[in-house]
Amino acid sequence: MTFVDLDRAEEEVPDRSVAPPDRPRDRLRRRPLGGPRWVGWAFVLPGLIGLAVFIVLPQVASLILGFSDSTLLGGTQFTGTQNYVRLLHDTQFLNSVMVTAIFVLVYVPANIAISMAMAMWLKTRIAGRNWLRVIFLIPALSPMVANAAVFRLLFQKDGAVNQALAAIGLGPIPWLSDGNWALVTVIGVSLWQSFGYNMIVLGAGIDSISPDVIAASRIDGAGRFRRLVSITLPLVSPALFFTTVLTVIGAWQTFAQAYVITGGGPGNSTMTIMLYLYQTAFTNNELGYASAIATVLFVIIAIFTLFQMWGQRRWVHYD
Amino acid sequence: MTEQRLPKSGPNWRRRGRAVGFAANTTVAWLVALVFSFPLIWTFFTALKPANEVFAAQISFIGSKVLWSNFVDAWTEVDFGRLLLNSLVVAAVSTVLTLVVATLTAFAFARLQFPGRSAIFLLFVITLTLPSEVAVVPLFLGFDQARLADTWVALILPGLFGAFGAFLLRQFMLQIPAELEEAARLDGASTWRILISVIVPLVRPALSVTAIFTFLGSWNSFLWPLIILNSSDKWTIPIGIAGFTTQTGTQWELLMAACVMTIAPVVIVVAVAQRQLVAAIGAGAFGGR
Repeated sequence: MTFVDLDRAEEEVPDRSVAPPDRPRDRLRRRPLGGPRWVGWAFVLPGLIGLAVFIVLPQVASLILGFSDSTLLGGTQFTGTQNYVRLLHDTQFLNSVMVTAIFVLVYVPANIAISMAMAMWLKTRIAGRNWLRVIFLIPALSPMVANAAVFRLLFQKDGAVNQALAAIGLGPIPWLSDGNWALVTVIGVSLWQSFGYNMIVLGAGIDSISPDVIAASRIDGAGRFRRLVSITLPLVSPALFFTTVLTVIGAWQTFAQAYVITGGGPGNSTMTIMLYLYQTAFTNNELGYASAIATVLFVIIAIFTLFQMWGQRRWVHYD
Repeated sequence: MTEQRLPKSGPNWRRRGRAVGFAANTTVAWLVALVFSFPLIWTFFTALKPANEVFAAQISFIGSKVLWSNFVDAWTEVDFGRLLLNSLVVAAVSTVLTLVVATLTAFAFARLQFPGRSAIFLLFVITLTLPSEVAVVPLFLGFDQARLADTWVALILPGLFGAFGAFLLRQFMLQIPAELEEAARLDGASTWRILISVIVPLVRPALSVTAIFTFLGSWNSFLWPLIILNSSDKWTIPIGIAGFTTQTGTQWELLMAACVMTIAPVVIVVAVAQRQLVAAIGAGAFGGR
């Protein structure tokens, strides 16, 4: 569930290099279980090399490229902090940071709240709740691009959503042609697509609460609200922390929704950092400058993650 | 199950109240699910409409004609057959290779002692929090330098080494009693033999869940294929769909037919393997997406 659990599991591994002295296991003592000491390396090496080359190395290279004016065919010259000075005056970039920050600040709390509420609701008595769980999970495991294409149709000026609104005497709402509404639409489709996943993770967290604790609180006369605040939320807090950290990391990297539904528009109102990075690198062929954007995004995500890890002591309960 | 808490006897009104509450709760929940599913239901019905009725004045699910031929047209107009084949091949190859790498890694972490194991394990844990999409530019440059841009090798390689599958398999392998392994070793089995004949058969459920997630991950993947693939004969489904939507004068009914054919396999897989998938997600094995 959490990194802490992984550490705990680590302790459960018995130390096989030492055979118990009361058993005659000469052969094992000569060759400890697991073979010669280098055998483990042989097994871990493919994964380790792949991790180093394709996951760690690009992060480091991105940091270095950020100090260059690299282009695809034009070679690479190091230009010091020039890219970063330019970023400070790049209104399109500053706008994309703003847009993504708004996205994160609305999307993440809404996602966690909806996921938690739905997870708790699906623990109540409902006929066919396993199938409901599947229905809510399906968009999260479907291609974002297909989901986004569907929403692009629904939210057209004369699409189904505005037609439904017209039927009850409302609208039409300029979902995709007005900047603010376009951002609302992109946040909406992101929530629709993703909450089912966190709902399952939090549901598992709720399941892990001992029924005895709930029963005891009932006997002590705790009402529904009291149980939520004093029992459920504290005991689910490790799962809440885990999902929040990963949801924030994902939200800062939002790309496909904006790319497909609005293309960043109208007027850059849905231009996320990743979309601006993509256009800078692969439309404008400014790979060095795009890497500087990547570094800023990396730092933003790192700050948010570290801040949450620091803050977890105040609200996350491990027992 | 909470059903068991229902009192077998008790005041009649109370039982009836509970039954009404149960019915009301169920009804509301399924209504919410219906509204939630509306976009996908609408997609299906739009895929069957004549082109000029996609934006009809009156909202209606069924057009004047039901055109199953839209699915055939999508196959030719969007070249969906090619996209489907590409996506299937890429996802299948990715899945097999990921399983091999993840199994070896998990086995080393769970069952073998070697110098530096804790440090390497920590490295794997840390990479879980790295924002991977941020580093696409150097990844692209690297493959371009190696003259591998616009190939499936470049498309598949970076996705093989995510640590989540290894972690899930490791958790399962830790639960296998050491006696089985010791017995096999006393019978003269090599480490490799133990992995293949003892460990792998025992973690088959975890392997199939990892396979499903890897397959879906590849099936859904968008940003990296968009960057690395140039020629349209190598595109996967998401790239084809995205390219289709950004053209002017979108043929919505064909696009929706393509979306139906893209999402339907996911729906089937999730419905069939729901128990295992929910358990694996609940274990936090695959992180947020």
